[in-house]
Amino acid sequence: MHQRPDLIVCEECDAVYQRPLLGHCEVARCPRCQAELDRHTGGRLDRLLPLTVGAMILFVIANCFPIVSIELQGLSADTTLLGAVVALAGDGMSEVSLLVFATTLLFPAIQMLALFYLLLPTSRVTRPPGFVPLLRLMQAARPWGMIEVFMLGVLVALIKLSNMAEVIPGPALWSFGGLTVLLTVVVSFNPRYIWHLCDAATVAGHEERTS
Amino acid sequence: MSGIRDDASGAQAGEAQVHDAASLRVTGCHHCGTVWEDAPPDARCGVCHAPLHRRKTDSLNRTWALLIAACIMYIPANLMPVMITRTLFDEQRDTIMSGVVYFWTSGEWGLALVVFVASFLVPLFKLAALLILVVSARRHSRWQRLQRAKLYRVVEFIGRWSMLDVFVVSVLSGLVKIHGLADVQAGIGIAAFGSVVVLTMLASLSFDPRLIWDEAAPAPAPADPAAALPPSAMAQLSKKNEGMQ
Amino acid sequence: MTDPHDEKPALLQPARERRRNWLPSLVWLIPIIAAIVGLSLVAKIVAERGPVVTVSFRSAEGLEAGKTKVKYKDVDIGQVHSIKLAEDRSHVLVNIQLTHEASGFDAEDTRYWVVRPRIAASGISGLGTLLSGAYIGADAGSSQETKKEFVGLEQPPIVTRDASGRQFVLHTDDLGSLDIGTPVFYRRIKVGQVMAYDLDADGRGVTVRIFVDAPYDKFITQDSRFWHASGFDMELNASGFKLHTQALSTVVLGGIAFRDRDEAIDSPPAKEGTQFQLAEDEATAMKEPDGAPQTVVLNFNQSLRGLQPGASVDFRGVVLGEVKNVGVEYDRAKGEFRMPVTVQIYPDRLGRSFRQGVAGESRHTAAQRLRMLVKRGLRAQLRNGNLLTGQLYVAIDFFPKTKPVRIDADKVPLELPTIPGSFDEIQSQIADIAAKLSKVPFDEIGRDLQTTVKTLNKTLSTAEQTAARINNDIAPEMMQAMQDARKTLNAAERTLSDDAPMQQDIRQTMQELSRAAASIRVLTDYLQQHPESIIRGKQEP
Repeated sequence: MHQRPDLIVCEECDAVYQRPLLGHCEVARCPRCQAELDRHTGGRLDRLLPLTVGAMILFVIANCFPIVSIELQGLSADTTLLGAVVALAGDGMSEVSLLVFATTLLFPAIQMLALFYLLLPTSRVTRPPGFVPLLRLMQAARPWGMIEVFMLGVLVALIKLSNMAEVIPGPALWSFGGLTVLLTVVVSFNPRYIWHLCDAATVAGHEERTS
Repeated sequence: MSGIRDDASGAQAGEAQVHDAASLRVTGCHHCGTVWEDAPPDARCGVCHAPLHRRKTDSLNRTWALLIAACIMYIPANLMPVMITRTLFDEQRDTIMSGVVYFWTSGEWGLALVVFVASFLVPLFKLAALLILVVSARRHSRWQRLQRAKLYRVVEFIGRWSMLDVFVVSVLSGLVKIHGLADVQAGIGIAAFGSVVVLTMLASLSFDPRLIWDEAAPAPAPADPAAALPPSAMAQLSKKNEGMQ
Repeated sequence: MTDPHDEKPALLQPARERRRNWLPSLVWLIPIIAAIVGLSLVAKIVAERGPVVTVSFRSAEGLEAGKTKVKYKDVDIGQVHSIKLAEDRSHVLVNIQLTHEASGFDAEDTRYWVVRPRIAASGISGLGTLLSGAYIGADAGSSQETKKEFVGLEQPPIVTRDASGRQFVLHTDDLGSLDIGTPVFYRRIKVGQVMAYDLDADGRGVTVRIFVDAPYDKFITQDSRFWHASGFDMELNASGFKLHTQALSTVVLGGIAFRDRDEAIDSPPAKEGTQFQLAEDEATAMKEPDGAPQTVVLNFNQSLRGLQPGASVDFRGVVLGEVKNVGVEYDRAKGEFRMPVTVQIYPDRLGRSFRQGVAGESRHTAAQRLRMLVKRGLRAQLRNGNLLTGQLYVAIDFFPKTKPVRIDADKVPLELPTIPGSFDEIQSQIADIAAKLSKVPFDEIGRDLQTTVKTLNKTLSTAEQTAARINNDIAPEMMQAMQDARKTLNAAERTLSDDAPMQQDIRQTMQELSRAAASIRVLTDYLQQHPESIIRGKQEP
């Protein structure tokens, strides 16, 4: 078994193509099934780290402060994301609580932390330790991070509540909004590129030779 | 670079220039995208150490099972209350539909639409789409392959948005806990609903879209490339064909 | 060799150009901004934090860590951070995080208490907390020293430090229905409340401290009188039945009321801490000071039923004192029972001029005066105050027609002579009349009367009989006789009337007779002539 760096296989229809050399912002598509084969990441990787850091900071803020507080008849109540999870567990809905915890806290955190660790420009030559399992973990966690759905859910909940009580958005709400935006940008990059992060020299050299 | 490019494999009408990975004895790693040639079964990708599969293991059966489970869970998800609101005066049990109706009657049509689409239509759509995909893949149908491929992408994309109601209920139940005055509690229905979302997501993850493009096992396809490939490759190929589904 | 398609993208192909180097650093703005926002939030929270205090309470009922708020004048000034049990488990320690604007609330004399629904003498408070949950109330202190640990009050303080007004002290015999928080009324408006009460050191009374709010504290003057305004002020005595109440709440909770005794005079406001007497009721409070009482013993010789201690002693309608004691004594010397009634008289009530006149009088003159009064007929008498209840009171008055009595003016206690009560007189008069009435021989008269009546009866009946007989027997016969007579007369009349048939018959007969007579005559005549005719008959000529 040996590597064929010149080829690319469509994930969705198993067709084989020659690996194209993508220019900036270019996307390669499978002609048979229109699936995305590859996209140019290139310089984006540089931008990825600060975005990840920003996302992490916002994530911390979003979880430390209350998302929203309501006031009803002089009584006020507020909650953070963790508070909602705990409340669900306290009500006996421990499975749902676990689900919410996983999709809004655990998996996004794994994603961000793994990415941060992997993108740290410690070295681009050798892989940092734990590279493989971490990246696998990150890729596995990717479809399960649902912060943007959570954002929409919070908005719907706010509107529902605004009929009943006075609703005061907390700092976490804006943090979550920013986090949503950042995360969307962060996860839109091509993860495959990272696998070859430390082979960049070899890949570049290879491409040079082929073109 | 060398690669076996075989004219004969392009004999299928209408897909002249497209080669299957199987026919070329290459396997693409699903995780890192590296293409490996002549990979033995149960090999692991050298770059990312993921197991190399031609197709996802037992894809159709798994998808089928998860799909049926999701269908079963869909019924209590819609019938049982997802949210129990207790105020000073009464107790209100809301199902997903009653939440939509509430928004509709209170004039917030946009929200009613959003919740209706996300919590009712989307799961239904996913179930139906997955059903179509699984059934058609099992029968190796050639009907509307491209559309089916797109359908699969859509299903994967929108899968997560059905979690909307779960988040709404969890935020409300975490927030409205004013003892004596108002108290919101998640109902059983939301656990069922969450399980529907999870099951459909798992189902779509376990469905191998390459099955859409697969021809039926006893097909003339293996015959042609076998003619061009050396015998050893043919033997490998036929083994792989058997290994499919 | 066929090459598989190199698929070029469906996306635009932007021109490839070298990007300037500052772009990457622009992107770093995003996390930098995020970090700044986060830090500023944290900084804001830290800056808003005020001091942390620990308050100990007996129980944490109604308090919730992270939720319960601390309020001063209904403004949130802090929040309960955590609640712990004290080591010796006798109380709970509540950790409170105050806001920055409440930084003065760690002064040494700050007070903290829990506001819960509470029913106390001053009313029901804290009902809002039934819905909103208990909260911790605070009263700012003014001390410069700060401390971190406080002992929470178990009950809200009656007066917060910022309340303006004045304290006063009242003395009374017993607490009655007073309690901490009992309202103080002026003209039926609540102007203050009871702050504290204490038993006197000698145990003979109770000292009550009240607080009157500004601006009403200026209505308390040197001349003010205080009384218990608790509940129904009911009086049922010789002067009648009276019912007073203050506000309705006093019926349940009790109260104190006050007024100036003489409102015409403008007295200066009383200073803080002035002591007053708390009277039983308004009348007692408003009385002129009684001065020293004088004990007098009155010996009555009649039933004392209806005379109670507390009954008034009055002189021509003016209440001079009251009955203190009612008793019975056996006088061995005379061998009879005496009923000594001990009364207390306040001579000062006899008026200012009397007071001024007797001030400085010696005992001798006083004794002389007394003797003179007694000689004039000064006596004590029991009178009926209330016919309904039979209550008696002692009346002192001049009775000029009584027998003179010697009084010993030096005896202690002083003894005043008595005369039987006016009701007794009435009684004896009635007794006399009764005796007289009993002397009248009602029996004999009755009997005589009976006899006379019987006789009369008989006479009447006889007369009745006679009358009946006349009526029944004689009368009809007489009637009959009369009728017959009438008939006869009638007949006679008929007979004698001209055309009566009898008359005619008689006439006819007469005629006939006359004719007959005539004929006879003729005959005779013939015969005479012709005597032979008798034999031969008549011959025809």
